[in-house]
Amino acid sequence: MPNELIRLHDVSVGYEGRAVLNHLGFAVEEGEFLALLGPNGAGKTTLLRGLLGLLPVLGGRIEYHFDRAATPPGYVPQRETLDPIFPLTALEVVLMGTYARLRPLRHAGRRERTRAAECLGQVGLDAVAARPFWSLSGGQKQRVLIARALASEPRLLLLDEPTAGVDPGAAAVIMDVLFRLNRDQALTAVLVTHQIRLVRPLAQAVIWVDGGTAIKGPTAEMLAPERILDVFGAPATG
Amino acid sequence: MDTLVEILRPEFILRDALVGSVLVGAVCPLVGVYFVLRRMIFLGVALPQLSAAGIAFAFVAYRLVVGPHEHGNVNERSLAMAGAVAFTLGGILVLAALERRGRETVEARIGVTYAVAAALTVLFLVADPHGDAQMVNLLKGDILATTSASLGVLAWAFGAVVVVLFAFRKEFLLVSFDRDLAVVFRKRVGLWDLLLYLAIGVTISLGVMTAGPLVTFGFLVVPPLTARLVTRRMLSFSLTAAGLGATAAFAGFYCAYRFDLPLGPTEVALASLALGAVTSATMIGQWMASPRSAT
Repeated sequence: MPNELIRLHDVSVGYEGRAVLNHLGFAVEEGEFLALLGPNGAGKTTLLRGLLGLLPVLGGRIEYHFDRAATPPGYVPQRETLDPIFPLTALEVVLMGTYARLRPLRHAGRRERTRAAECLGQVGLDAVAARPFWSLSGGQKQRVLIARALASEPRLLLLDEPTAGVDPGAAAVIMDVLFRLNRDQALTAVLVTHQIRLVRPLAQAVIWVDGGTAIKGPTAEMLAPERILDVFGAPATG
Repeated sequence: MDTLVEILRPEFILRDALVGSVLVGAVCPLVGVYFVLRRMIFLGVALPQLSAAGIAFAFVAYRLVVGPHEHGNVNERSLAMAGAVAFTLGGILVLAALERRGRETVEARIGVTYAVAAALTVLFLVADPHGDAQMVNLLKGDILATTSASLGVLAWAFGAVVVVLFAFRKEFLLVSFDRDLAVVFRKRVGLWDLLLYLAIGVTISLGVMTAGPLVTFGFLVVPPLTARLVTRRMLSFSLTAAGLGATAAFAGFYCAYRFDLPLGPTEVALASLALGAVTSATMIGQWMASPRSAT
């Protein structure tokens, strides 16, 4: 049986004491490529934020089978949540990932800079290290944020709609990067997405979020055409 | 040229005022960088006014509890400092807490803070019958009245602020740029916010007592906005803002002395002139680089 990284026991999560999702009970296994899918407003991002510890658990409990302080999950937010007023190069953004292991008064040195440059290389963006982060295309920014998540040397990547708002070519490149990280480094990846077509060939399992709860199952079963038709009223086109 | 040589002489009669002025010009923008990055610029108007209200309150409270205070002594300055820091820090903490929980707009909260602080300042002044010109000077900040003792306090306090801002710049950047990531990294977000706010509170309080609310606000906001137009990295952003502020303060002092102008407004006007010039140059540069200009 594969190692579990996270196990949820009848968990409820939500905002300001009001549960959005209830009775969550599934596990995220090591090396898994997992897609978090569901209709708009169903609570996909809420579940992701709950797994990250950004939202309080209102009921039940979440077991983390890794040391979250020593090896925090690699978090890739939606790039629109970051403010372009900050003057930062791509390398400076990636360096932030190394802050996870740096104590106060210790600053990023040669080791951290080398690590950050390697991570940029892993997402195919060595050449843009010195460029202003905000001058990059949407897809490049998203890959820089993936590099930042890798810089914290995580066992688990949690991504919030990494392909939202980027053109189909850039979305395919992002998915390819994630697939290679999962395959070559056995890095566990959980991503929120609307683009069923993009994840269908890559995801080993799907967590379907709908109706105030979420269930996990194999991709083929969870993304069966009749199920998609039932939920969306149309075949998957995303 | 003679004037420049004169004000640079060690025995220059207003040397302490010149040094104090340059210190305010250099350190306020270092704090102001975070005002600009966190989009809290209007707090730069409200907090100096709140600091002024704190000074006035401290004098009234002292008179009510202990008795009339003597003007011009060290205790009066300590009293003013305590009031300024307490009101500024209290205000910034309340506003920060409301920012996360409140439902009104940020502008409304800051507007109310400014109006209340301005009204309280006047009311506290009226309530203290011993309030005279010297106290009013302390309230509005009179750089020319800077003494060696007050300059020493300013230098030590601002030195501590600079050390904190640079020593913990990694933490301040992380909690300002991506708060969620800081939480995921299990950093003490509240603690870093508190430390940053403390540095802001001390800087504004001393800035107001030394140079007044107008100059403090001007240096908190104008040099960082100018620096943001010409820098691409965080460290160069902070250093350029501080350099611009110090230069504007020195040039303002020179012009005020040379042409007999009011010091504070001259400094702020020069800093704003630099912002206007850099903004124009940036816009022209962008226009020249755009494809349309080539046709």
